[in-house]
Amino acid sequence: MEHFVKDGNTIIDSKYVWSKRILIFFIIVLLIRLWDLQIMRGSEMRTFSEQNRIRVKKIVAPRGVIYDRNGKILAETRPSFNIYIIPEDIKDFNQTVDGLAQLMNMERDEIIEKLKAASNMPPSFPVKIKSDVTMDDVAKVEAHRVYLPGVQIQIEPKRYYNYGKTFAHLIGYVSEISDEELKKKEYKNYFPGDFIGRYGLERSYESYLRGIDGEKRVEVDAMGREIRTLDVKEPIPGNNLYLNVDLEVQEVIDKALENKRGGSVVIDTKTGGVIALVSRPAFDPNKFTSGITKEEWQKIALDTRHPLQNRVIQGRYPPGSTFKILLALKGLEEGLINEKTSFLCRGGMPYGGRVFKCWKKGGHGVVSIHRAIVESCDVFFYNLGLKLGVDKIHEMADIIGLGRKTGIDLPGEKDGLVPSTQWKQRVYKTPWYEGETLSVAIGQGAVWLTPIQLVQLASIVANDGVNYKPKIVKKIVSPEGKTIKTFEPELNANLKFKKDTLRIVKDSMKGVVNEGSGTAYSSRIQHVSMSGKTGTAQSVGERGKNLGDHAWFIAFAPSEDPSIAISVLVEYGGHGSSAAAPVAKVVTETMFKEKKEIKEAKLNGYR
Amino acid sequence: MGIDKRKVYHLDWYLIFNGLAIFLIGIVNLISATSSFYTSSYSYMIKQLVAFFIGIGLIVFTLHYDYRVIVRQSKWLYLSGLFLVVLVLIIGLIAGGAKRWISIFGINIQPSEFMKPILVLYLAKLLHEKKKQNVPLGIKDIMFPIGAVLLPVILIIKQPDLGTGIIIILTSGCILWFVGLKKSTYAVLGIISVISSFALWHFVMKPYQKMRILSFINIDADPSGFGYHAKQAMIAVGSGKFFGKGFMNGTQHKLQFIPEHHTDFIFTVFGEEWGFFGSIILFLLFASFIWRCIKIAQSANDEMGSIVAFGVASIIFLQFAINVMMTIHLSPVVGIPLPFISYGGSSLLSILGSIGLLLNINMRRYMF
Repeated sequence: MEHFVKDGNTIIDSKYVWSKRILIFFIIVLLIRLWDLQIMRGSEMRTFSEQNRIRVKKIVAPRGVIYDRNGKILAETRPSFNIYIIPEDIKDFNQTVDGLAQLMNMERDEIIEKLKAASNMPPSFPVKIKSDVTMDDVAKVEAHRVYLPGVQIQIEPKRYYNYGKTFAHLIGYVSEISDEELKKKEYKNYFPGDFIGRYGLERSYESYLRGIDGEKRVEVDAMGREIRTLDVKEPIPGNNLYLNVDLEVQEVIDKALENKRGGSVVIDTKTGGVIALVSRPAFDPNKFTSGITKEEWQKIALDTRHPLQNRVIQGRYPPGSTFKILLALKGLEEGLINEKTSFLCRGGMPYGGRVFKCWKKGGHGVVSIHRAIVESCDVFFYNLGLKLGVDKIHEMADIIGLGRKTGIDLPGEKDGLVPSTQWKQRVYKTPWYEGETLSVAIGQGAVWLTPIQLVQLASIVANDGVNYKPKIVKKIVSPEGKTIKTFEPELNANLKFKKDTLRIVKDSMKGVVNEGSGTAYSSRIQHVSMSGKTGTAQSVGERGKNLGDHAWFIAFAPSEDPSIAISVLVEYGGHGSSAAAPVAKVVTETMFKEKKEIKEAKLNGYR
Repeated sequence: MGIDKRKVYHLDWYLIFNGLAIFLIGIVNLISATSSFYTSSYSYMIKQLVAFFIGIGLIVFTLHYDYRVIVRQSKWLYLSGLFLVVLVLIIGLIAGGAKRWISIFGINIQPSEFMKPILVLYLAKLLHEKKKQNVPLGIKDIMFPIGAVLLPVILIIKQPDLGTGIIIILTSGCILWFVGLKKSTYAVLGIISVISSFALWHFVMKPYQKMRILSFINIDADPSGFGYHAKQAMIAVGSGKFFGKGFMNGTQHKLQFIPEHHTDFIFTVFGEEWGFFGSIILFLLFASFIWRCIKIAQSANDEMGSIVAFGVASIIFLQFAINVMMTIHLSPVVGIPLPFISYGGSSLLSILGSIGLLLNINMRRYMF
């Protein structure tokens, strides 16, 4: 056995000392590092680890339900599947983005754009990529989830409009908030991917309809999968709206105006409650709720028939002969005419070097107020207009609410115009010519009114000088069923008309529909009487093309004890009698098909 | 050569209990590392215990043979180890993109782990043969030993198992330093290693291995890959604060933020659940264990024993230091198990076999 004598091996002996020094040195280095990580930065690291595992997930609050006056649901929320990307969970950006784009048939840039829009949110914020995907898509994504780290599918409430187009302009729609809006201060409570009321009631009652989103703190693993829920703050659903609107009436008008351009509004004369409001052509509000594509949006926005315009509150048209009611009221009130005052109509009236024609070529002969309204004699009203002067006409219009916004609870209402000498001086810096008064007297020229304004004229006659601000929503009720707000009728005008004035005008308007010579005789109804006034307004046409006249009809019913007022406008519809009056006819028929007693009980019940 | 009572008395009980303490901590930690929040898992622990008892058997068996005999016969161990490493490249099992294991009778073993103590033994034999009293070794003396080290290392790095390759190279370096080289030899070795590092970087290392080093330098360069893992490991350890989150309460690994948390990254589990307090205790146990290994080297009967003991001390120290350092962002991420603590039969057996050698050397320190 060979032996090796260790003693005295100075080379090796020196190494032990150094080995131990190195060992101690490293242990100290490690402990200093641990001290740094666990003690000095321990709290920071603990926070990191908590953020890692605890993720706050938004629980979208369902929007308030919208009911009609009979409790029928007009708009509600339904579950839908939305696809999100949580940037933090992405492992390979291209893999996730390209993979999802391919599965969902989307453009890569489309996804990147959405991610960019939320780039100032924390990386754990889920960015909505696509709303309301089909079950097929859900299955596809689920099957490929392993290859799509960061992609999440969430079930969330989605707005659904049960009657689609029928309530397009009335209820409006919601859509995703835009990047530009998110930058504004007024939207500070909104986050990317949130829906916001854009149109109609959805917009004007946004603050009531929108609930308060809840949140859920969940523990997630490195793949972003939920492991367990730590706590939940339940969302508070939005408040429900109960409308004055009657679904049946709305549908009837919708059908009557199908394939037409125009609008119609029905109000409860005793409260101002809006029973129906339809504008045509319309759009499908459900398209917006699942993220409308650019092409679809362009198609709607650039449609030359302007489906996005709510003609009832935004369409301004010359009122035509319906305006004669206003003159009649003012003339009788002022005592400038009475029941017997008559003028000779020879089919026209020369004035200021030209002849102002009556629509009836042969003329009406000697006419007094009753026939002048029933048969819509223009010459009678030329004369009355001259007697009144434009400023008296303007004064009356203003009191009733013609030419200005009615204050209906819809966004974007337009005013109108009933001219006055002052107005002309102000705008054109020229004096008023009496000849212009003649045009105004028959609702032409510089008179521009919306259907919602004209219904106020019918309403004030029906309701003996009183009319109310139109109101669509009757009350707002919390999700628990507590009434938050009830809208009492708001007085608009309260005119103390002479009894005779009202009697004469009402009689005449009844005659329009119910007398053989009346302009709307073809729209008379058997069991209930309707009163009204036709109007035919010359249109400007479009792009130099004359597309025909606008047809008007304003009405109230029943004639004896009116409870509803109607206005109908059909663009390029031709005569008011043939195009517009039939709409009012079906409305009245629908409203009053029941026996009088039941009907009254029901109407009282609404209030 | 038998084993008598005197020798049992000379067993280093300090080393045994010190090692056992670390191992028990490892077992407890392994239960947490392999359990979820809902279910405790004991299957890994049981496999680890089985490997442990096999290791005890291995120690008892090898204690019968004088370590000098083992060192002298280490050529055969070396050749069989080399054979297995070659076998891995041919019939190895692929897991996680690497061929590191071979299956023998249904048991997966990782030959590269065993190569570590085998090379210590073989180097001890080769260097001891060249060694003359108080004369540092020259470049000629170490040519063959270095070749004997590099051959398996190249094969192991090819698997790829960069971690084990690095440990073997560093351990060999420690042994050469321990034995003592001429100054000129150090210089030559230094130059060679610099050149070969460049060669390694350009020709051998795979992109993912390079990424690990790059992401060490800039941890945010690769926020979803290695940098991410390194960062999550650091967060895990740091979030333990002073007393830790408590046994089974570590969220970082249970929620899969840490890869390989029962093997290479097992310290993150310990650091997260037992905090600074637990880590001090664990580090002191390791320090004392390695200190004891050095002590055994110092008191060994002959230089051969000293070299082997020092080699084993180097392996344990290097693995401990590098493993912990990579979890606290003091070193790039390389696949190196934490001795006694990381799950893995081959690693544990290799460590226990090494400890057998230490006990063997210590037991026979008074014998001539």
